[in-house]
Order: sequence, then C-alpha cells, then structure tokens
Amino acid sequence: MTREINLDANFQDADAFYESLLDAHHGLSPAQSALFNARLVLVMANQLGDSALLQSCLEAAALTAAELAPTKS
Amino acid sequence: MTTNTRPVATRMQTTPLPYAAAAFTNGYEFTEGSGYQLPEYPFVAPPEIATGQCKRHPIVIVGGGITGLTLACVLAQYGVRALLLDEDNTVGVKGASSRGICYAQKTLEIFRRLGIYERIAVKGVQWSVGRTFAGSDEVYSFDLRQQATHRLSQQPPFINLQQFYIEGFLVEKLLEGDAKDRLVDVRWSHRVTAFTQNEDVATLSLTTPAGTYTLQADHVVDCTGSRSPFRAWVAASVTAKKGDDRWCIADVRFKNPPPVERHTWIEAPFNEGRAVWQHLMADGVWRIDYQMAPNADPALVSREDVVRERLHAQFSQLGRTLTPDDYEIVWVGPYAYRSECVDTLRHGRVFFAGDSAHVVSPFGARGGNSGVQDADNLAWKLAAVVSGKAAASLLDSYHAERHEAAQHNVMVTNRTARFLRPADGAERLFRTAAIGLAKRHAFARQLVNTGRMSAPNIYTRSAACVASSAGSGLATQNTPFVWADSSPGTLGELLGWAQGRLLLLVFGEFPLSTAAWLQALTTTTPGLRCVQVLGKGERADAMEHIRDADGHVRATCHATSAGWALVRPDSYLAATGQHIDATLAQAIAAALGGHA
Repeated sequence: MTREINLDANFQDADAFYESLLDAHHGLSPAQSALFNARLVLVMANQLGDSALLQSCLEAAALTAAELAPTKS
Repeated sequence: MTTNTRPVATRMQTTPLPYAAAAFTNGYEFTEGSGYQLPEYPFVAPPEIATGQCKRHPIVIVGGGITGLTLACVLAQYGVRALLLDEDNTVGVKGASSRGICYAQKTLEIFRRLGIYERIAVKGVQWSVGRTFAGSDEVYSFDLRQQATHRLSQQPPFINLQQFYIEGFLVEKLLEGDAKDRLVDVRWSHRVTAFTQNEDVATLSLTTPAGTYTLQADHVVDCTGSRSPFRAWVAASVTAKKGDDRWCIADVRFKNPPPVERHTWIEAPFNEGRAVWQHLMADGVWRIDYQMAPNADPALVSREDVVRERLHAQFSQLGRTLTPDDYEIVWVGPYAYRSECVDTLRHGRVFFAGDSAHVVSPFGARGGNSGVQDADNLAWKLAAVVSGKAAASLLDSYHAERHEAAQHNVMVTNRTARFLRPADGAERLFRTAAIGLAKRHAFARQLVNTGRMSAPNIYTRSAACVASSAGSGLATQNTPFVWADSSPGTLGELLGWAQGRLLLLVFGEFPLSTAAWLQALTTTTPGLRCVQVLGKGERADAMEHIRDADGHVRATCHATSAGWALVRPDSYLAATGQHIDATLAQAIAAALGGHA
C-alpha cells in the first residue's frame, strides 16, 4: 500500500538529527560531502521503497525559483 | 530434432577456414589467422524477369536477417505461403562479424517450436552466472538458474551463439524438402528499389543480378534493419536519441579460455576506468566489449596493436600474462549506439519488425531477441487473417503490442546506457555513490545497472487481450505436462498441435453440458482448439486432454484459481476466466480481432 508523503513534523528529535547530519559532514571536502549526501539519499530512499512516495519526495525537494530566492531580512 | 548436414551446415560448422582478406570492405575491421566463411546461397533468376508478369503475393517479407527469417519460418509452420527477399546472398554480415550473441529463453522457446533449438543448444554456450566488478572488487554476482522467473520452461535462461549461425539454421529450415513443396519462396540478391501502396495493393520494384521486375503484395513486412528504406517510403516518423558513448568489440579465441561466465566491469582498471564486457560464444570465441572515451578515434581504438595492448593489460590485471600465441583475434569493430523507435509499426500494408522498427543499445540483449518476438507476434496474426480464421483488424494489435514492447525496451536500455555513461556532475556522483554502497550493502546492488537481460514484454494496451482478466498480455513458459497417452509433452508442443489457432485450456472437470457447449464453440470457431487440463486424479471429459499433475501449466497460465486460459500461438495469454460463459466467447472474439 502506498504511503502518503508526510510534510508535517515527523522527526523524533529534529535538532539531534540535524546536528548528526552536520557532524557527519565535518572535515569532508565539498566533493566528499556531495558523495556522502548521494549515498545518504540512496540509503534513505531504500528505506521508503515505495515508488509513488519516492516520487512525491523528489517533487517536495524541488523548490520553486521564488522559494529559492534569498530571504529579505 | 534434426541434425541437418547439408553442405551449408558443414561449411559453417567446420573449424573456420582461412579468411580471404580481400573481402573486407570496412576499413576499421580486421581479422587474423582464421575467420568465418559464411554460406552463400545461389541467386535464381525469377521467372517474372523473362515473362514480364507482375505477380501478386499475400505476404512479402523484405530482409533475410534474424527477424525476417524467423517470420518466414513461423508462417511456413502455420502452412502459409510467403515470399522472402534478401538483398544479399548470405547470412550475417560480410566480413564475418557477429551482431547478436545472446538469445533469451522466450526466443529459444520460439526456436524450439521452429525445430532449430536443438542445433542452437548443441552449437551455443549456456551460461547463467554473471559477475559485475568495479575496479578490482566484485560488486555482485547472480545465477539465473536460481531465479524463479526462468524455472518453468524447458529452455535455459540464455544461450550465446553468433547470430549468423541462427540465421543459417533458419535458412536451412526454410530450404528443407523439395523446392516445389516449400511454402516460403526465398529470393537472394533481390534489392527493393521502390515502394508504393494504395487501398488495393502494395507494389515493390526489385533489382536483381538478372534484371529488374515488379511485384505486388497484400502485406509487406519490413525486416531490412536499422537502415530501412521503408521508413522514408511510407514517411514513418521515428523517435530517436543519440548519445556519445563509444565502444570497441574484440572477438577473441583463447587457447586457455576464461570461465564460462558473463563478466562486466563498470570501471575497469585495465580500460582507464571505463566499462568492459566479457561474454562467451560458440567455437571458443569470446566477445570483449571495451567502452571508449567519447572522443576516441574509432580507427585508433580498433588498430591491431592497440587491441592487443588492451587485451594484455586486461589479463595481466587478472593475474595472467598473455602472449600473442595464447589467442587469436577473430574480429574487431568499433561502434556507437543510438535508440530509435518507429512511432507506428503499421503503415497501411507495411509492418515494421526488428531493427527497422526499433534500435536499442546492446545492453541486455534486447535487439535480436525483440526482433524474433516481433516476428512471432506478427506471424500468427498474418496467418490467421490470410487463412480467414481472424478478422483483418487483428493486425492492428501488432502495433499495440510490439510498439509497447519496443518503447519498454528503449526505456530499459536507455537507463542502462545512462548508468554506464553518466553525464558529468550529479549523474556520475550518484553512480559513484551506488557502486560504493553496493560493495557493502545488498540493497544498492539493485541500482547497479549493467544491462537488464531481455525478458518477455507485457502487453497492456492491446484490444486482443482482455485487460481485466488475470495474466492477460503476459507470456507463458514452455512448461512440461503429460499427454493423454502418458508420454511427456510441453506447452510449446501443444501450441504446435494447435497449428496457429488459439488454444483454450479448460482446467479441471466439467459437466456434460459444458463439454457440448465447448464442442459447439470449437466447431463454429475455426481459429480455436480446446484442451482439458487435468490435475491429479481428475476425470477426463469428452474431449482432448492433457495431465498437469504438478500444476505447471496452471502456474504458467496464471490460472491458480481460473477455470480457463486462452493461450495464443505466440504463447501469450489473451485472457483467463473463472466460468465457461459469455465472457469466454467475448475473449475469443477479441483475441481474433473481433469486438469484445
């Protein structure tokens, strides 16, 4: 059964994950960082497995140009 | 079935004779030592040149490659006449090159029905183990014998054999028996130079060594290959994609051959980190494909000293020092691939089949195999329509089914091509990530794509298959069963017995009233034969029956709960159903080109 994408808060501990993610990149060159991220995406994608859900994730990750514009302070 | 020892076969099976170097026309090819001498078939001046007569033929096949020859053989088996025109007088490509090398189970099942499978099995090489390497690490391996998808069939997952052998076997099948009894008239050295068609007829202009003539046809099947002139003649639109991936083939015969396994390197250290394929064929010849740099010079990469240097580097990496005495180079050829698909496989009286309909990269052996399966799909439909057993509209299902297959094959092979030749940037980044993970984690091996091997395509858009029923549009496998007289049989033999008719399999016991209804149905439907399939201990009712104690026939018909399955001559399921009622009659009508 297809799981619906969840774009509401779902982390058990968002701050802890974010910190772990940054730690994992600590000391990596930009190229190593990019490769680490690519591996992470593949590992996580396999956890989801569901094709429709993965497609929704790809769409959710693609922000519009307006959303990408620098935020005014 | 037969071990035919006509002069042609003897020539092909002998240890290759010294090759006449003068015959080479392509500047970038060479052989050394021995190559292949391909059979030559005599040109016979057709009577029309002398009489000036313009004869009309129900079916004209243009092109005597693997697709056209298969089509001709299947038609002959169904008892239908055809004319086959080939512009050459031999099989294969002059210059002893082999094109296709790898024949999949479904294709082998078709060849079994045609009576050439045993020769292919004897001559060819069976393999089931594939290993994929990145750098010097094995990333993963597979054994096709362990995969349930191939298990029901009597044929193995794959046999490797040079394409010209298969074509030669098909030609010999067509030329069996007395010339006057042959249903297919094969005309060598006939080039089609012009084509027109209208509502009434198609007209082909031919050039031969003895002069030119014209003939007419009801149906024309274009099997002329990727440089088809028919595409322009009927203004067929083509969807195409071209990349910059370049490869170079070396066909090599070793004194001490490597293991009988398919080896693929995604990043071969002995090929500057690019891909290499290693595959065995008949006569102890290995096909080694090397991926080249996109800007590589084809003349340079196929130069003898460069080929030798690459080969020595490859074996030295594998811990073996190769000297020129250890091997001989049979053939070398650089190539680039593209994907192309004709958008409509039927244009009036013209049907596109094989490479003239679609061209894909070689990954997964989806070229030759899909050509054979195009031919098998079209043949029974043409035969049924020409002999009045099916409605003419059945022929439209050829496009619906085989265009879907072609599009699928294009998609699958393009995905492999993209893995093997990733664009710089994110595509290469993700490939590096996938390979890195695959060395350690099983899940990532799914992402490593060195070719998804040819498998029967699924038909979901065909009016001839009842989409709502289980298994419809899926291929069955050549499963074993026991005939009523207790001798062993296979589904392929049962299809042969049906001689190009639909095969209605009714599972289990049924009452007398059903027997009478089925009897009436087969009497009024010339395109149908009916057989009862009995499980363990079940009673035979008044009709033809077979025994399927192990349930293999049931399983391959996706009929675990169904009461009946409608199997087509190409071994595909048109429909399955629970009850013997009007839905069955509708499925039969649809499968024969009528209205469901």
